[in-house]
Amino acid sequence: MTGPAGVGIGWRPEIAGFVAGLPGLRFVEVVAESLAATGPPPAGLAALRERGVTVVPHGVRLSLGGAEPVDPARVAHLGAVAELVGAPLVSEHIAFVRAGGVEAGHLLPLPRSREAVDAVCANVARAQAALPVPIALEPIAALFDWPDDELDEADFLTEILDRTGAFLLLDVANVYANARNRGVDPVALLDRLPLERVSYVHVAGGAEHGGYYHDTHTDPVPPPVLDLLRELCARRRPPALLLERDGHHPPAPVLRAELDALAAASGFPVVT
Amino acid sequence: MSGDLAERQAALVAALVAGGPVPAGFDPAALAAAGAALLRKRAGEVARHWPLLAAGLGPRWPATFARWAAGRPSGGSLRDGWDLARDLRDRGALPPLGAEELAAREATDRYDGHAPPRPRRLPGWGHAGGAVAVQAAGRVRLLRPARR
Repeated sequence: MTGPAGVGIGWRPEIAGFVAGLPGLRFVEVVAESLAATGPPPAGLAALRERGVTVVPHGVRLSLGGAEPVDPARVAHLGAVAELVGAPLVSEHIAFVRAGGVEAGHLLPLPRSREAVDAVCANVARAQAALPVPIALEPIAALFDWPDDELDEADFLTEILDRTGAFLLLDVANVYANARNRGVDPVALLDRLPLERVSYVHVAGGAEHGGYYHDTHTDPVPPPVLDLLRELCARRRPPALLLERDGHHPPAPVLRAELDALAAASGFPVVT
Repeated sequence: MSGDLAERQAALVAALVAGGPVPAGFDPAALAAAGAALLRKRAGEVARHWPLLAAGLGPRWPATFARWAAGRPSGGSLRDGWDLARDLRDRGALPPLGAEELAAREATDRYDGHAPPRPRRLPGWGHAGGAVAVQAAGRVRLLRPARR
């Protein structure tokens, strides 16, 4: 099984027919928690596997950034799903999703502190010890920062990647969202990240609500995110790009145009 | 400032989803925006599990859900929608489509409002807003539609 390559799309049941009809597709991602570890995978996903399409399970509920040790059952599930779809790697987030027995319902940012770096590195090490394939870590979009950050974002991420040996799943929409909401330049972060560690890149849409840019995955990819993708590719083109669209799915021609825009921005072959 | 990361993470989650106080040093406006975004995301997830309930409320769905869910941590999308549907039923505010969906769910699963719902092994029935649903051997049928 080869690593992610070219332009891919997040496989979701709602768009399974659309994804099945993409002739040049070589790479999809699937939300790991949406699959049963015992299988079988959904028919649409199994058909893609038979075509040789690489499938990467993307975890959203491990809570690798939680202060408490990661749940071994959740890691075992991620590993089982990776084997089920013959994945070359899995991905998860540098974030926490629950604390004190309460589910937050989404990815929350860590303080950029030494204590948090230690916590996330310990959990990544626990996961790596139990997973059958490498893991790529994704920095998230956050609407707020903790008040006591000791490290800036680039140092925080680089330290975690160096200590864990994990790959980087870079989300240019998250980079854009964070920079815009903090009023800083997103390109400056690109220049300080270890781009040689990127295994693939997420691209997603978002929208403005109440003065904040929200990384919704349910809106079109805005032009500044494509601009940032071009900036990234000009520095070092990643092996693969993946369009994430989780809801309010547009008509097929609109989704095809978004995939084509990713191909145009990166120079990868069109998959539509 | 350093200290107990576990406690601080718990306090942050409580502030975002359980009506807890804003922890010291955080930007209240940014946390409020994050909390509202969590409610929007959750409303979308619950709507996928309770499509008729959401459709019955139409444009009022996001605000109806957000009012009910604010300060109330999620019990999972199935239970969130179930609890909300019962709450609306008790207040006479459950739309007919939602009543039919609730009646069907009550017929197929046993749910006490505390533990996760479990499939009924025996034939069962459910009713809400005039809708009556019966279930036998796992097949559910709407005997009577809701009052419209």
